Amino acid sequence: MFTLDAIIGILFNGIFYGSILFLIAAGLQLIFGVQRILNLACGSFYALGVYTGVTFIEFFMGIGLPHIYFIIALIIAGLILGFIGPIIERGILKPIYAREMEFQLLATFALVLIFEDVIRFVWGIYPKISKVSPVIYGELRIGATILPIYYIFVIVISLTIALFMGFMIKKTKLGKTLRAISDNREMSAALGVNVNKFYLLSFTIGTIMGTIGGSLMAPVTAAWLGLGVEIIVYAFAVVVIGGLGSMIGAFIGAMIVGVFKGLAIAIYPELEVLIIYAVVIAILIMKPSGLFGRIEE
Amino acid sequence: MGEKVARRDWIKVAGAGIVGLAIGAGATYGLMPPRVERIEVKPTPKPIPKEPLRLGVVTFLSGIPAPSGIAGLRAAEIWVDWTNAAGGILGRKVELLVEDESEGVEKSVERFKKLTVEKGCEAIFGTESTSTGLAFGKLAEEMQQLWLSWDGTTQQGLEETIPNKKFSFPSIYNEAEAVAGAVLVAKYFPNVKTVAGINDDYSYGRNCWEAFMSVLKTLRPEVVPVKELWPKLGESDFTSHIAALDAAKPDLIMSSFWAGHATIFLKQAAAVGLFKKYKGAMVTAGGVLPTLKKEFVPEGVLIGCNSWYFEHPLGWPLRDKFVKEYLRRYGEYPVYECDHAFFTFQAYKAAVEKAYALKGEWPTKEEIANQLRGIKVPSLSGYRGYREDNYQICNFFLGLSKHDPRYDFVTLDPLDMVPFELMCHPPEMKFHDWVKTWKS
Repeated sequence: MFTLDAIIGILFNGIFYGSILFLIAAGLQLIFGVQRILNLACGSFYALGVYTGVTFIEFFMGIGLPHIYFIIALIIAGLILGFIGPIIERGILKPIYAREMEFQLLATFALVLIFEDVIRFVWGIYPKISKVSPVIYGELRIGATILPIYYIFVIVISLTIALFMGFMIKKTKLGKTLRAISDNREMSAALGVNVNKFYLLSFTIGTIMGTIGGSLMAPVTAAWLGLGVEIIVYAFAVVVIGGLGSMIGAFIGAMIVGVFKGLAIAIYPELEVLIIYAVVIAILIMKPSGLFGRIEE
Repeated sequence: MGEKVARRDWIKVAGAGIVGLAIGAGATYGLMPPRVERIEVKPTPKPIPKEPLRLGVVTFLSGIPAPSGIAGLRAAEIWVDWTNAAGGILGRKVELLVEDESEGVEKSVERFKKLTVEKGCEAIFGTESTSTGLAFGKLAEEMQQLWLSWDGTTQQGLEETIPNKKFSFPSIYNEAEAVAGAVLVAKYFPNVKTVAGINDDYSYGRNCWEAFMSVLKTLRPEVVPVKELWPKLGESDFTSHIAALDAAKPDLIMSSFWAGHATIFLKQAAAVGLFKKYKGAMVTAGGVLPTLKKEFVPEGVLIGCNSWYFEHPLGWPLRDKFVKEYLRRYGEYPVYECDHAFFTFQAYKAAVEKAYALKGEWPTKEEIANQLRGIKVPSLSGYRGYREDNYQICNFFLGLSKHDPRYDFVTLDPLDMVPFELMCHPPEMKFHDWVKTWKS
């Protein structure tokens, strides 16, 4: 049906999209895993990342930075934007940790609306499209298939972050502490862990993952109002498939969503959205906790 | 054999109809100017209301389609400033009341009603979405409110829902750009045999694809579609769609993307060299022409600019004045939605003045509507008008993308002007019946 070149192209683009989805969903996973907050604003972090990325590109183009360094500028943009994490955590989430989950959901939904207005205020309602495109980094040819080097960079960055996060959570003292808090907050606090400090840290890391995901997409897409809402659905599909709170689940889930979406578009485009929901429903029926999620009592 | 002869005959007609600008020196710009009519003004005109004239605008102010909607709004604002500076309409200053179209049909309908009933607007302008257009057309007739659409007219839909239009004035048939695109694909890419389409998953996208293939197959019966993709309006990741288009290996890729998504698609397509491998026909992408940068749009892609191209070898003072003003205010070049918006206001003003000249008092909405039918006024792209069945009349500009060192975005060279009569079927015929007549 498809040539090998075509299959490589379809899978590659699915993995690229999955890499961006992973960054957003991983932030969502980390925050839920540690703080037990389902953060609906994860899409807003992504949108803010795209806007900031476009602004950084325009700024660095203005001062004559060679194009080759733009990817570094974009990562820095995502990191700098992470400053909103502590502000939100301290200002909005900390006072409501003890409240019901519904209340927390409403609070993070309020953040989605607030960020829409922040974007409106800072960048205006007109979509922002950077003049730079992924073309500037060149391409890699495999047969007749062209793989943009920029997309490869993004996949590598995403994979590196996934490996780093996995290592950090499994092997480091910080990760062990985060897991301990995730397992039993009260017991951790009783053993002397400064839970508030780790909440602040995990939320900031989760925020940065979303903002970096967004800033890396700045040369690829446009920044527009509604971008954050659009991606939430896919991020939650990733979480359901991979399992809430699992980092490896987020990675596998993101790849499944990206690749299945790509295959559906190539084979039977009408199934583009349906296929994702079909996978989600299948997982919910067969393994409600997700592929790598834990079953909680 | 018979088909070949018919095709050749048709191409001759089409070739004669398309005014190639390069060889069109001396041709009139756009439509012929209106005849000067002598109208007797009644001797005792009644006083004109003193309060400002409120006109409502409903257009996309946010989301992916916003570049187009905001461009239209900017043109409306410039028109209002110029008109008020010249004394308004019959001495009445014009006030614009603006509402967003981006929150869906239901909200837009509420806003139409609000502008009409609460705000007292005497006419509603704007709309780009075909689904909003369908709702507004019906609403305008029910509320007896004038509605002058900028864009977004599904001809079949409006013909079915409002067969006898009194107060609604739709834009030019939406399929027009697809028809013009197909004609020029046949002209510029005669060897195309397989076509893949990527169009928005709503009436406009579906209609454009259908019309494009219908016309192209009439001109080139050997052409077959090999892939049809329907991303939703608002999609901002086309990487998987592009991989699917690449997998289909068509000779030509057609798209009617018309706003920010055209730019995004072209950027992502450039990353894998899509339009270096395959011919491209972006029949409406000129709606965001200044955002189509040379870095990611190669030369030789057919791009449609609808009714307006910012630069024209034959010259038109109103366009030049407008481009200068738009550049001064916004630092960018205007796009076709500006022309549609500007035209609707020009037509409204002329109709009011004409009706007043006949009656001697501020005209009713029905009287203004009567004058709008068949009117011709100067707009940014030349003379434009309304047909007797309320549809807009204008010519379209399309051409092949070129990298001109004077601009950072692609320009069109050669540029073709496709006349209205070649794109839009006569009122007494249905589109597909009309296309079938091309063979005979």
